[in-house]
Amino acid sequence: MAFKWVWNQLKGYRLRMGCGLLIVLAASALGMVNPYLSGTIVDKVIVDQQYKLLIPLLAVIIGATLSRAVIRYSFQMIFESVSQNLLLNIRVKMFSKLQELDFDFYDKTRTGDIMNRLTYDTDTVRHFVAWVIYNVFENGMIFIFAIGMLFWINPLLALIMLLVTPITAFFAIRLANDVKPTFFAIREQLSRLNSVVQENISGNRVVKAFAKEDYEIRKFSIENQAYKQKNVDSARVWEKYLPVLDSMAGVLIALIILAGGIMVSNGSLTIGELVAFNSFIWALTNPIRMAGWLINDTQRFAASGERVVELLETEPKIKDSGSPVAKDEIQGKIEFHNVCFSYGDEEVLENVHLTVEPGQTIAVIGPTGSGKSTLMNLICRFYECTSGKLLIDGINIRDFELKTLRDNIAVAMQDIFLFSDTIEGNIAYGVPGATMQDIIHAAEAAGANDFIARFPEGYDTIIGERGVGLSGGQKQRIALARALLKNPPILILDDVTSSVDMETEYEIQHMLNELYGSRTTFIIAHRISSVKNADLIIVLDNGKIIEQGTHQELLNKKGYYYSVFVNQFGDFDNIYGTEAG
Amino acid sequence: MARNKYDIDEELEAQFNWAQFKRLIGYIKPYGKTIGITVVFMIVASIANLLGPYLTKIAIDDKIPQKDINGLVLLAGIYLAALFVNAVCLKYRIRSMTDIGQSVVANIRSDLFEHLQKLPFSYYDSRPHGKILVRVINYVNSLSDLLSNGIINLITDLCSLVMIIVFMLIVDVKLTLICMAGLPALLLAVLAVKNAQRRATQVLSRKQSNLNAYIHESICGIKVTQSFAREAENLKIFKDLCQIYRKAWMHFVRIVFLLWPIIDNISVVTVSMVYVVGISWIGQGVTVGVLVAFVGYIWRFWMPIMNIGNFYNNIITAMANLERIFETLDEKPNVTNLPGAYVMPEIKGDVAFSNVSFQYEEGDQVLNNVSFRVNQGETVALVGPTGAGKTTIISLLSRFYNIETGTIMIDGMDISKATLESLRRQMGVMLQDTFIFSGTIMDNIRYGKLDATDDQVIKSAKAVKAHELIMGLKDGYYTQVNERGSRLSVGQRQLISFARALLADPKILILDEATSSIDSKTELALQEGLGRLLEGRTSFIIAHRLSTIKNASRIMYIDSGRIIEEGTHTELLLKKGAYWKLYTAQFSFLEVV
Repeated sequence: MAFKWVWNQLKGYRLRMGCGLLIVLAASALGMVNPYLSGTIVDKVIVDQQYKLLIPLLAVIIGATLSRAVIRYSFQMIFESVSQNLLLNIRVKMFSKLQELDFDFYDKTRTGDIMNRLTYDTDTVRHFVAWVIYNVFENGMIFIFAIGMLFWINPLLALIMLLVTPITAFFAIRLANDVKPTFFAIREQLSRLNSVVQENISGNRVVKAFAKEDYEIRKFSIENQAYKQKNVDSARVWEKYLPVLDSMAGVLIALIILAGGIMVSNGSLTIGELVAFNSFIWALTNPIRMAGWLINDTQRFAASGERVVELLETEPKIKDSGSPVAKDEIQGKIEFHNVCFSYGDEEVLENVHLTVEPGQTIAVIGPTGSGKSTLMNLICRFYECTSGKLLIDGINIRDFELKTLRDNIAVAMQDIFLFSDTIEGNIAYGVPGATMQDIIHAAEAAGANDFIARFPEGYDTIIGERGVGLSGGQKQRIALARALLKNPPILILDDVTSSVDMETEYEIQHMLNELYGSRTTFIIAHRISSVKNADLIIVLDNGKIIEQGTHQELLNKKGYYYSVFVNQFGDFDNIYGTEAG
Repeated sequence: MARNKYDIDEELEAQFNWAQFKRLIGYIKPYGKTIGITVVFMIVASIANLLGPYLTKIAIDDKIPQKDINGLVLLAGIYLAALFVNAVCLKYRIRSMTDIGQSVVANIRSDLFEHLQKLPFSYYDSRPHGKILVRVINYVNSLSDLLSNGIINLITDLCSLVMIIVFMLIVDVKLTLICMAGLPALLLAVLAVKNAQRRATQVLSRKQSNLNAYIHESICGIKVTQSFAREAENLKIFKDLCQIYRKAWMHFVRIVFLLWPIIDNISVVTVSMVYVVGISWIGQGVTVGVLVAFVGYIWRFWMPIMNIGNFYNNIITAMANLERIFETLDEKPNVTNLPGAYVMPEIKGDVAFSNVSFQYEEGDQVLNNVSFRVNQGETVALVGPTGAGKTTIISLLSRFYNIETGTIMIDGMDISKATLESLRRQMGVMLQDTFIFSGTIMDNIRYGKLDATDDQVIKSAKAVKAHELIMGLKDGYYTQVNERGSRLSVGQRQLISFARALLADPKILILDEATSSIDSKTELALQEGLGRLLEGRTSFIIAHRLSTIKNASRIMYIDSGRIIEEGTHTELLLKKGAYWKLYTAQFSFLEVV
């Protein structure tokens, strides 16, 4: 699988690879010049005293070395360059795939595992292309060349030499089969190790808060030792076969001594032929010696390559339909028709029926886990309705191009993720080319400008990954500004002011009303103060809409909403009592 | 400290020095014996290997012309025996090489990880996490080959080099000196390349770090990316980073691959010199026999030298990663146990801040002379505008940071003199940032108390009203979640981390916006349930929902790093100060009055 795939990936580079391989041949041919001429110098110049030959011979040796250096360097550059291009292409493809994979994939996959594929696995593929391929080729060619020469010198002796080949091949194949699972195990374990470390780094605050450093170290040690063990296990396989393959190379020499000797004795081979034969034998033994290592690298590549392919072939369940409607501007009318949604067997939304007119503000309130965020996720089509229909501007949401749909919706998610970038960069995340003025406007509307301006570096302040270093309320307001800057027809604010003090929230609400009142807006919140001005308030419980209406209507109903109101403002009378007293 | 992001290189102050190399040797030292034995095995193996040509020579020169078949069989037999010896040595070498290399790598990684556990929040907050990850995983892995093959080859090469030089000296001193004439040139070449190579490898390692940081953040922030439909833009950035990495790589190999051909050429020129000089000296003390023997050694002299040059090359390359690893290991953890720190006995719960001042960064005073006392069993609510210093106060209580002036006492004992573990173990902290580890929900709650039974975990989940919610999930407590929280909503995650904090049976409970995303009905039920559980425990609550706050036994209003009001709900309302304003504001915001 991995081989065929990498062959396809090499499209466009095959010619360069081919040239590179030819140059490899030239280099290995040149490599034979020096040993040969050194022999000549000893025989002819030193022993036979033909001193005149010395300088020309040395000139040839130096010339050959120089040209081999140049040739070698150039083919190395060719392979490095091709492999780097390939690496880049593969990474970009993988990254691009990651951009389109849906939430479902991310819910199930650990960050460390994805990291591992994009870094370790791709690098293994790179190594294969940069180094393994030409070495296999070079050794293979030398082997074939040597066999040809040996047959030319003496077919019988060559055949005897070849007797070793099936045995070698047998062990080589055994090695290939046995070692492959160990490389799978290594990369799986690396992925686990990666995940443990990654989570430890990301969760460092919890680790410290619970003083669980020792536990983390134990957890890590298990994976770290296991990773070491997997590597050792793999080496236990090589150590079984590599010495055997190495010995096979030696057996050839023993065979020459024995069979060659016998043949010379019975006259079917001359001494001269035997000497010539012997001088080529390295060309048979070296490739055999290398075979084991090359097999290892190849199988390591196969294990990683499959992981890369696996990711590339993962299809998002949510993608553009074959013929998306051509529509860029969305008005903002949203209709839920008997929408149900479940994760596996777990029902999250049940028969939701709701119509929202363009420009309306809808507030959603309800217990934790009642499905509020899921409802929003469906509007953005992060998940697909299990049954029922979701229409925007009368068009089924599945018929929109995903990009168009999401371009027209801005979400401030409750699970705030800020990037380790400047505040400016974070707010402009959705609109990369935004002007500073727009950014400040959005920040003002989100009630964030004041505290940002108080930072010594203002909008250029770099914030830590996930927004650490900022308070919950600050993060929420930056995330809100980020959504507002996009200025879309549909605005979803999922719990964006829960950590903001009431006064600021009040200001934000006013700004929102003034500036973004004409958008279809969804507000999820727990505080009555956040939801009461909405055109429509829906109460979600256990995936069902149990109440809907305006603030006053719902109060009159004396149901869930009313009870929440009483919870929050229970001593409404008391306070005025106190005041009066 | 300036924060770092994916497109900013992390500059390194540390200079290359042999101290770092020595430090690396320190990791290898414990395996010195095994390395020694392996080297002996390697020498035996190379002798066994050298037997091949020698036996062939005997066969061709003596046995075959004499048609001595028995002799040939004997030779072949000897050779097969030598092969066996060689195979055993090779097997041993593979085994010990892997064991050593992998052990050293595991040890370095483990030191690095353990050290990371000691580093303060600020270390993690000031750089993308992918840049820390790349050190623990990728950089450490990059050392394994150098440490296994590299070291053993180096020693073997050094041994054979010494042997060859001795042989050459025995044969002819003058020729040996000529043979070494190439060494200065070689040294010069190596040094000339070294600086360029150092720079190239450092650049490469930084670019790898940047790329890693971007990949990591892209994965963690994918939901934001998709919701802002920013995929194309990110892909462009990623492509640029890959291009930059590619460029750095090509620059690196262009330099690194130079060294081998340079050494190769120097060796050939030197050998040629020996031929020329040797031949001109024939008759002047140099015999033909000597010269033939000498040129037989000369290639074997250069081979190990080329290998050593190569090893040096690898060291320089590895150094770029190694210095990053050591840099992290040298990072001073600023919050540590003081010498002679005592173990905090079981906390009763009296907390006293006296004149505590604190700043995260120079000139940015967060707390100014804060003093207060809280008695065992009190519930204290901290209110005030964002950025007022509420989170800071409670972070100091767990000693996540060191204070500059003043003291913080628990039960009359200075917390700065207690061991961190004994202090934090007794605090139940629920942070703004809930973090869920990958694993089951059961495991996540159990994180608070690792030896808790399933029943205890469930009891604690029931106490925080998370039980029904968890049972509603597909696999109940055994539902798998991952570190991005999977499909759990923030409210659900808050409840789970609440259960986690409670399970730890903390003496002091700290809730920092711990319930902000939990609906108020659940929260109320939660508070009622907690009332009993928390009896006798001191708790600190930061919240914006006033219904959460007003039942506290004491409310502190914090603004600009000072406590400006303090008292019960009723007392503060009567005061008609900041709290009163805040409280009545919610009604005016309701616009019902």
